[in-house]
Amino acid sequence: MAPSQAAHVPTLDGLIKSFNNRTLESSIEALIFLLKRRQVKGDECAKATAHILRQVVAKSKWTDVDQLLSRIQSAGSRLVRAAPLEPVIGNVVRRVLGLIRDEASEDRNADDLASEAASDIQSLTPSTHPPQRPGPAPIRPSPSVISTGLQVSKSMFNLLSVADPGDSPMTGASTPMSQAQPASVHALRSEVMDGIEEILDEINQADDQIAGFADIQIHPGDYVLAYQPSRTVERFLVKAASKRRFTVIIASLLNPDGAAEAPYATLRKKLNAAGVDTINLASNGLMAYIPRVNKVIFSAKAVYQNGGLLVDSGSCIAAQAAHEYLKPVIALCPVYKFCPEDPSDEVSRGELGNPSSYVSYANGPAVEALDVENTVTDYIPPELIDVYLTNLGPQTRHHLASILADHYKTEDIGFSLQLGEP
Amino acid sequence: MSKQGGKGGAAPGKAKKPAKAGADEKREDVLQAVILADSFQDRFKPFTLETPRCLLPLVNVPVIEYTLEFLASNGVQEVFIYCGAHSQDIEYYIHESRRWSPGSATSPFSSLEFIRVSDANSIGDFLRDLDKRGIIGGDFILVHGDVVANIQLDAALAKHRARREANRDACMTVVLRSVGEQPHRAAKARGITPVFVVDSKTGRCLQYEEMHPLQSEHYVNLDPAVFSHGEIEIRTDLVDCGIDICTPDVLALWSESFDYELPRKNFLHGVLKDWELNGKMLYTEILDDGYAARATNLQMYDCISQDVLERWTLPFVPDSNLLHGQTYKRVKGGSYVEDHVVVERGAKVTQSAVGRGATIGSGTIIQGSVIGRRTKIGKNVRIENSYIWDDAVIGDGASVVHSVLAGSVVIGAECRVPEGSLISYKVHVDNGVQLPSDPPARISILTDDKQLAETDSSLVGKSGKGAIYQVAVDEDESDDEDGAGRDPAVLQSSLIYSLQGLNISTSSISTLASEDEYDSADDTSLAGSLQAGDFGATRDRLSSFASDDAAKPDGGFHNDAVHGLVDALRADDSDDFDGAKLEFMGLRLANNASDSAMRRAIAVAFVRRAAQLLTPEHGSLEPTKAAGEALTSKRGAVKFVKEVGVGGEDVAEQAEFALALQKALVGVAGLETGRAGALLAALLQQLYSLDVLEEEGILAWWADKRACEGLAMGALRDKCRVLVEWLENADEEDSSEEEEEEEEDEDEDEDEDESD
Repeated sequence: MAPSQAAHVPTLDGLIKSFNNRTLESSIEALIFLLKRRQVKGDECAKATAHILRQVVAKSKWTDVDQLLSRIQSAGSRLVRAAPLEPVIGNVVRRVLGLIRDEASEDRNADDLASEAASDIQSLTPSTHPPQRPGPAPIRPSPSVISTGLQVSKSMFNLLSVADPGDSPMTGASTPMSQAQPASVHALRSEVMDGIEEILDEINQADDQIAGFADIQIHPGDYVLAYQPSRTVERFLVKAASKRRFTVIIASLLNPDGAAEAPYATLRKKLNAAGVDTINLASNGLMAYIPRVNKVIFSAKAVYQNGGLLVDSGSCIAAQAAHEYLKPVIALCPVYKFCPEDPSDEVSRGELGNPSSYVSYANGPAVEALDVENTVTDYIPPELIDVYLTNLGPQTRHHLASILADHYKTEDIGFSLQLGEP
Repeated sequence: MSKQGGKGGAAPGKAKKPAKAGADEKREDVLQAVILADSFQDRFKPFTLETPRCLLPLVNVPVIEYTLEFLASNGVQEVFIYCGAHSQDIEYYIHESRRWSPGSATSPFSSLEFIRVSDANSIGDFLRDLDKRGIIGGDFILVHGDVVANIQLDAALAKHRARREANRDACMTVVLRSVGEQPHRAAKARGITPVFVVDSKTGRCLQYEEMHPLQSEHYVNLDPAVFSHGEIEIRTDLVDCGIDICTPDVLALWSESFDYELPRKNFLHGVLKDWELNGKMLYTEILDDGYAARATNLQMYDCISQDVLERWTLPFVPDSNLLHGQTYKRVKGGSYVEDHVVVERGAKVTQSAVGRGATIGSGTIIQGSVIGRRTKIGKNVRIENSYIWDDAVIGDGASVVHSVLAGSVVIGAECRVPEGSLISYKVHVDNGVQLPSDPPARISILTDDKQLAETDSSLVGKSGKGAIYQVAVDEDESDDEDGAGRDPAVLQSSLIYSLQGLNISTSSISTLASEDEYDSADDTSLAGSLQAGDFGATRDRLSSFASDDAAKPDGGFHNDAVHGLVDALRADDSDDFDGAKLEFMGLRLANNASDSAMRRAIAVAFVRRAAQLLTPEHGSLEPTKAAGEALTSKRGAVKFVKEVGVGGEDVAEQAEFALALQKALVGVAGLETGRAGALLAALLQQLYSLDVLEEEGILAWWADKRACEGLAMGALRDKCRVLVEWLENADEEDSSEEEEEEEEDEDEDEDEDESD
């Protein structure tokens, strides 16, 4: 039989491959519906967002930085709205916005230097925006100071008036330059796209980078409880297994979907091959093992600015149990999962999944009599977490603010609120 | 790319694409789907007078959105939509839709075309038209416009392809969802219970039958051939979600059988039955997880709405906001609320969905309901398990329980809308009106022929608008599952599944599920069927699973058949019976009547005729003469009894016929037992001398325990003792004659095969 019969169910990889054949709008729309239909979820969201924003930069029409920013903002907020419980999407959008601002300010400085001659000519011609033009800045001793000053004023302005970024006074400042220098648009485009590539690389490498800290966190002879190990946790444990001898206790729901194989069979095989013992545990029996356990590890879906975690459901019990016994709880969270937001009401209540994980739809009386709420996410309050292991190294709660400040620009935090209904 | 599909409502000639062999291979990778957006049913009336079924809102989203999104989530690329009634509405809706409009760059389908068939009266007409067009390149998915499903078809598609590669005759896979043995709301709501006989190993579907509580026989006849397949399963626990994976051969099959109308009752049943003729194999894919159902009637509508609210259909839940412009959020109490909804303090909204712009007054309690956009709900209103569509207004203090209120309905203050009410578009109900609860009202401002109905102010109050909607009974148009007088559609047209007020015989509804009957039937009928197999009986000689006692003859088939036969027997002007026979066989095919039903009908007809002849008005003949007159006065009648009534030389079947005669005599009114017994003896003797019954048959009847159950039966039986004793004595003498008879019988049997 010919194996040419590809699966028809749309996937992220299929979508990325088809970018070239699609218009930008159709790519965005396709991704939005993949998100809405939960055909792209979890860690894939970050990758998907970066890919689609790269398409926005490459394909959409923009003549200056502000237009580009608003393109990214509008596409980004549509994605965020499509999957309100995937905060990673918003993070990637903010990162890209920040990237564009950085590149633009660098460009501006470079432009200013380069356009010395041009600006002389321009100053002779009647300009529509003479007062707003930065003027022959290069003559001044420190152009960077000026530009930073402008930057600050812009962000201050945006903080106060988030309604329409397109009308900010910076428009006047940047427009004449980019009109005068179409080449800079081209340069900016390729720089931003390179930047997004870097973000993508970061997303792809984050798991490996986190795994690099495995031998520091896991000591010989440890008993490590991994709650529903995700791909990040798996990689972390396998890396640790190459250097340390320890025991892994895998807690999970028993045989999800009645699978024939025991849960996490592949992970256990890998660990056993490296000489690490594994114990499978039903999650409801977890408490009994906690006294024996040295540390609890799980990965986060997102980290909020207060240090609270969005995780797969059930992890909260593991964290709480460990907290009671004063066992360290290590949350694996790549930097791109840090959200400069507070958890919303919806997040703390958890996302609801399909009740069929607990009650079969075939069970007539139960379907009729019960309201089954199957929460698929948990919110873990910050005081239960001891170490946030990021790809930049282990952090405590007190340093989260600086990580957020390093990666996001204040003016981008509320980007999705700046736009109304599409 | 996406632009190519921009020719909505394509003319027949235009839509014809070259489907060459080379193109076939290329198109393999493009998944095509055909949506049947008209069901030719009127179960949603009066709502469907104004809006097609697939645009009715289900949790505030038109039903067809679920279907299209389901296809999109399975990577379907080309979609063809067949519309019947309201085709302009559906086309307008799709073209205006941002997501599905064929010209839209954001449509997930590379093409979406409407196909109009002007003279279509059934789904069969659609599919035969599709076959003619030749636009289907390879495997395609056939769905109805009312499917709600979140299943992934990849596995089923792969299996289907593997089977097709292995055997070209494996042409269709029916996707079914198992709902378990226990009573299930999705199973209860469907009215008709589909019975699938499936080969447990391969999933091949061997036989398909339908059962409903109103049919006269509460059992299914199994084809003896199904037992040759080793392990089989007989399943009544399946929800048929109307999703079929088909190869183009399926369309050819539709074309071959021009009279098939319904994809299940006619097509699936027929193709499986004629397997030896067409050689096509159909398979089932039975899913144990995922969600799939069709909003085929109001009860299913109710059931699916609840399932959506309870998230069984994830990701097709309100807070996925799949429809453009929706802004549902999940709030406390398990409700979904859109933006710009005003819920006053003190109002409680639980397990419900509330559309944008709705206002809900204080003290109002809403539970398990769907509230449309811009609905105004007053203070202290109680709404339970109801579906209120856009722009409705409900006055203060009203209560609405388990009802459907269509768009722009106005319900006055302090009204009572009891369970099961269906209130169609723009009906006004005046303040303080209490709508009837038994039977629940079905109110519309239109009559069945879409004229404005005269307002019935005793129903809706002085300033109200609307009248009771009455379905015009038009026999020709009863295109529902069953043409018989007792139509199961009765069960499906109301919101609440109720058998109350419907005269149903007391025997078990599902004999297959009831073990006792199965076992008892094992001894008699199952044995009979295997025997029949040994004799090389024809395929349609089916044996019954349950004994005849299980059912009372109250079906339309029985009455029609008996009247037809008695009239033919009594007719003075002609002495030919062939017309009656033809009519009877036609009736039988139309109703899919079982052998035992035919046998009973024939026995009753002849007994009635004979009993009539005993009465003074008809000459008060002696029993012997009456029996002879009844059987022999019309040419061909004896042959008819022998072939159709008895149905073979099998002893068991002869005994069954004798038993049927006996029962029929018990049932004849105004005939004292003595004469009835004499008549039975006379009939049996006549039949014996006419070679219809053999002595083994009569003796088997004599030995049958069922023949002496009850007083009346026993009394009749006693009257035949003389005949039986005489037969027993004569037993040895005529063994040589018998052989000749059997040869004749076989010849006749073959004739009959052809006539079938």
